[in-house]
Amino acid sequence: MNLGPPSRITPQPAPPDDVVITHEDVDRAHDRVRVSAARAQRGAFSKFRLLWLLVGPGILVMLGENDGPSMISYAATGARFGIGFFIPFVILTFCMAIVVQEMTMRLGSATHRGHAELIFDRFGPFWGWFSMIDLGIGNFLTLITEFIAIRAGLGFFGVPPWAAVGSALVFLCLAVMMHRYWTWERTLLAIAVFNLVFVPVALLTHPNWHSVGSALVTWKPLPGGLTQDTLIIVLADIGATVTPWMLFFQQSATVDKGLTRNDIHLGRIDTVVGAALAATAAVATIIATAPLFAHHMTAENFQGAEFAQALQPLIGRFGAALFAIGIVEAGMVASVTISISSAYAFGEVARRPHSLNLPVAQGKAFYSVLFLCAATAGAIVLIPGLPLVYVVLLVNVVAVLAMPPALVFLFMLANDREVMGDLVSPRWANILATGVVVFLTLAGLLFGISVIAPNVFAFLGGK
Amino acid sequence: MPSKDKVPSAITSSDQKLVLSSLEPEQLAGLKKHLIPRRHLSGLEKFVMWSLRIYLLFMIVVVIYQVWASLH
Repeated sequence: MNLGPPSRITPQPAPPDDVVITHEDVDRAHDRVRVSAARAQRGAFSKFRLLWLLVGPGILVMLGENDGPSMISYAATGARFGIGFFIPFVILTFCMAIVVQEMTMRLGSATHRGHAELIFDRFGPFWGWFSMIDLGIGNFLTLITEFIAIRAGLGFFGVPPWAAVGSALVFLCLAVMMHRYWTWERTLLAIAVFNLVFVPVALLTHPNWHSVGSALVTWKPLPGGLTQDTLIIVLADIGATVTPWMLFFQQSATVDKGLTRNDIHLGRIDTVVGAALAATAAVATIIATAPLFAHHMTAENFQGAEFAQALQPLIGRFGAALFAIGIVEAGMVASVTISISSAYAFGEVARRPHSLNLPVAQGKAFYSVLFLCAATAGAIVLIPGLPLVYVVLLVNVVAVLAMPPALVFLFMLANDREVMGDLVSPRWANILATGVVVFLTLAGLLFGISVIAPNVFAFLGGK
Repeated sequence: MPSKDKVPSAITSSDQKLVLSSLEPEQLAGLKKHLIPRRHLSGLEKFVMWSLRIYLLFMIVVVIYQVWASLH
């Protein structure tokens, strides 16, 4: 048996006779055999193959977080502020996401336990339920916004809302009914790469590259200065990059994929590549909608597809259609990853089987939670008169507010020598993680102050 | 891709050998039912966790207020 370096409190392996082997184990073992074979070989091709076999959770979590509400937030950012402060700011938020998500990958690889499971075991049910309530509410609200994005994006092509929501649910069923983590991951990766469709849309707007370069260096301009509206967009853009579901999803997916301590280096590459791809798509979206700012159009009345409609006179029907497809793709992929994040957490806490390698018969609870969350969220979106863009921005703000408590659990677990052994966070990672927690908390507090005492921004030079 | 309609008893001895030779013991689904012992929380840790919990509840009230204010 491949023991690997032991952590201090994990159980000693039971004798093979006592071990109950499941189909989930068999599927994972097949995946690990391929990883071992690639690792045993030398040469550049084998190294690339090893990387190919091990990437997945990091790219999926980052592109998954470039979800419907995130892309609409970036679109609102470009339309309201143009090319300027928010381009380097969004890149900074993805750097924060790398710091945070690396810890979840390391935790999953070292402990082979999901995030919810570790919180419940190490901190007890009192803190565990707090964490689960945060996750459950956040995931459900975010799921609603994914269906909003799908509905709005397909609306551009004349698809009625009920058909848009129905097709999203069918897509979700097809995505998870592969009963094999590997197949699911590869299929979703192939679809998630379409997030980069915002790059050609940005190119179609013929951006002023000098302005883009200048914004990256100077972090300017920020039209209107610091106002409550600016702050909401700041929080929405942070919430578009770092949210609690990402912590739970990447750790559980790392465990489900079967990554071990030996894979951590490549797991980091997976996370960084994912962040780079997602940041590219995010910046492209801001650039794509910047002409709406230059043409003095506002985003306030736009809903998902209306960004595409507003762009149509500037980039043509093809470009606008690409934009709408990008919004639909973002919502579709995220609806899958977020539903799975909820189902993983439920399975971990309820001690029920929870793996995408499970046949339906053995994972009834896992799949039921997954579909129930998605179907309920989809049904809510069909309620007429929902203020869609407002709901979307608000959900991202709530995600930012829920991050500091979630990050403290992550921070403590990643520094818990009893579960992590020699893989506890190094000092530099702790400094960065503390910086992220302080930054998010201050951003939230600033938002709170802006709501309670809006006049305070007049003293800071805003409107 | 293995058949998904198999019942657990259909796992063969070669499957068992494969699993036991390629997975770390802690990766086995059957062994994950074992609870990890709870950790002791220091006073500072409890203070930080409670502070952030109160922060979150306060901010949620602020968000609800903002929604209410914008609707009226």
